[in-house]
Amino acid sequence: MKGPTYSSVNRDVLAPLFTPNAAYMGALTAALAALAWGGYCWAQQLVHGLGVAGYRPPVFWGVYITTFVFWVGIGHAGTLISAVLFLTRSRWRTGIYRAAEAMTIFAVMTAALFPAIHVGRAWYAYFLFPYPNQRQLWVNFKSPLMWDVFAVSTYFTVSTVFFFIGLVPDMAAVRDSTRGYTQKLYAVMCLGWRGTDRQWRHYMAAYGFFAALATPLVLSVHSVVSWDFAMAQTPGWHSTIFPPYFVAGAIFSGCAMVITLMLPLTKIFKLEDYIHVWHFEHLAKLCLFTGGILTYAYGTEYFIAWYSDNIYEWGTFVDRVVGNYWWVFATMVFCNCLAPLPWYFKKVRTSYLWLFVISILINVGMWFERYNIIASSLSHSFDPAGWVYYVPTYIEWGIMLGSFGWFFTWFLLFVKIMPSVAIAEVKEMMRPPLKSDEEVAAK
Amino acid sequence: MSVSVPVEAAATVAPIKAVYKHLDCLVTGIDGLKRAGFRDIHVMTPFPRHEVEELIYEGEPSPVRWFTLMGGLFGATMAFTMTALMSANWPMIMPGGKPLVSIPPFIIITFEGTILWASMFTFAALLLLCRLPARGLPKEVEDPRFSNDHFGIVVERVGAHNAAQIKSILAHSGAIEVTGGGEDAAHGAHHG
Repeated sequence: MKGPTYSSVNRDVLAPLFTPNAAYMGALTAALAALAWGGYCWAQQLVHGLGVAGYRPPVFWGVYITTFVFWVGIGHAGTLISAVLFLTRSRWRTGIYRAAEAMTIFAVMTAALFPAIHVGRAWYAYFLFPYPNQRQLWVNFKSPLMWDVFAVSTYFTVSTVFFFIGLVPDMAAVRDSTRGYTQKLYAVMCLGWRGTDRQWRHYMAAYGFFAALATPLVLSVHSVVSWDFAMAQTPGWHSTIFPPYFVAGAIFSGCAMVITLMLPLTKIFKLEDYIHVWHFEHLAKLCLFTGGILTYAYGTEYFIAWYSDNIYEWGTFVDRVVGNYWWVFATMVFCNCLAPLPWYFKKVRTSYLWLFVISILINVGMWFERYNIIASSLSHSFDPAGWVYYVPTYIEWGIMLGSFGWFFTWFLLFVKIMPSVAIAEVKEMMRPPLKSDEEVAAK
Repeated sequence: MSVSVPVEAAATVAPIKAVYKHLDCLVTGIDGLKRAGFRDIHVMTPFPRHEVEELIYEGEPSPVRWFTLMGGLFGATMAFTMTALMSANWPMIMPGGKPLVSIPPFIIITFEGTILWASMFTFAALLLLCRLPARGLPKEVEDPRFSNDHFGIVVERVGAHNAAQIKSILAHSGAIEVTGGGEDAAHGAHHG
C-alpha cells in the first residue's frame, strides 16, 4: 500500500482552499441567512428592550445564558485535543487538531456575544471588564461573574495565539504554493517563516509551553463557568460537584461537535488519507468516557439532593423530572446518557452515519442540559408564590439560531482560507525518506 | 562566525545552498560541515526534526522557558496585586464578614493572570528568538520546496577559499543539488 508522501500532504490539504463550489456556497448562504435572522432578532431586542425575551420574575437567565454555556462548552474540545493530547503524545491528534482548534476559537467567539446580548444594553458591555473605581462602581472580585470574564477572555486569548502559532508553518506552505497577491498575503500571515533550524528550535519549545499552559486552562474555564451557578444559593445550583461535572460535559459536547464538523469536512474535501475512521473512533471513545462521568454526575446530583434532606433542593430536583420542564429533562437524559451507549459497539462507532447521528444527538442533549439547569432551577426556587413557567420567545430562539449562523460562517470561511489539517505535524508523523531505506530496497 | 579563516582572507562569496531529498543525507551534510568547522549554517526542514536540533544545538534547551517563567511570575504578581489593591481602594463592607482581600477567590484571578502572561511572554519569546517577522535571512533559504518535501542547508559568509571544500562536503553527503559559492555556481554538483 502506498501511503501519502510529503508532497501529497501539501497537495491534498491545500486543494480545498480558495475555490468554492456550489455546495460550499449553499452552506455559506444558509449560515449567513441564520446569522441575518439572529441579527434581526437582536436588533428587535436593542430597539424594544429585554421585554421581548420571555423573562418573567424571578427568571432572568434563560436561552442566552444557556447558549453561552453551550458554546463555551463546545470550545473545550479543541484545546483539549491540541494541548492535552499533545502533551500525552497521542498520535491520533495530528489529523484533527487544526479544525478542532479553529472550532474552539469560533465557539468562544460565539459565546462571547451572549453576555452582551444577555445584559440588554449591549453598549454598556464594557462594564464587565475591571473598570476603574473612579467610575463609582465597585469591582467585586469575589463574584464568579467577574472570574468568568477573566477566565473566558484568558482562554480566548491563549487559544487564539496557540492556534496562530500552529498555523505559521502551514501558512508558509500556502505561501509557497500560491502566486501574486495571495502569496504576499500569506507571506505576511506566516511572518516570513522559512522553517530554519533556529526557527523550529524555539518554535517547538514555545509550542510545548503553550500546550502546558493551555491544559490547566481547559479544566479551569468550565470550572469557573460552573461557579456562575454553584456559587449562588439557588436550589439545583449550589453544589460542589459542578466544576468536574461541567468540565466533563464540556469535553463531551466539544468532542461530539468535532465529530459533527469533521465528518462532512473529511468527506467533502476528500481528506480520508489524513482523517480516518480511527480518529473518529477515538473521539467517540472520549465521548463515552466523559459521557459516563456525566451520567454518574447526574446520579450523584440526585442522590445528594435526596440525602441532604433539604426540601428546596429535593423539590427542585423532583420538579425537573415531573414539572413543566420534564421534556427538557427527558431529552437531556436520552441524548447524553443513553444515545452514546451504542458507541460501545465497534460496528456503531466505525459507521460514519451513526457517528454523525449520535454526535448531533449529544449536541442537542448538551444544550438541553444547560437549559435544564438554568430554567428549571430559577422558575422553581424557594418561594412557591414565585414559581413561573419561563417560555422563550421567538426572539430568543432567533438569536440562538443566529449564533449557529455566526459560528458556521466563521468555520466555513476558515476551511477555505487556512489549511484545515496541520501539514507540518502530519509530515512529522510519517516515516522520513531515507537513503538507507532506498539502498536496502534496491538490494 | 566560527569559520576559522584569517581576517585578510575573509573575502566572502555568495552563500552555498544544498537541497536534499533524504533526511539521513541531510544529517550527514550537517555533521560534515560541523566537523570541518563551518557552523554559520541554516538548515531548512518542512517540519521539526529532533536529529537536526540535536546535531546543531547539542541538546542545549531553548531559552524560551525563561520567558515563560518570567511571564508567569509577572502575571501572578500583577493579577493578585490588581485585585487586592482595587478591593482595598474601595473598602466596601461585605456581609458575612469576608475580608476585603480574601485569598481564595483572588487565587482564581491570579491563576488566570499567570496563564495569560506566561502565554504572552512565551509568544513574545517566540517572535524574538525566531526573529519573526523573519528578516536578515539570506535569499537562498527561500525555496518553496523547503515547505514541501525537501530539506536544505545554506552556508553563509563563506570565504572564497573555503567554497570548494564546503561544496564537496555537501555534494558527498548526498545532496541532490548544490549551488552558490562563487563563479562555478552554475554547475550544481550532482550526486545520487
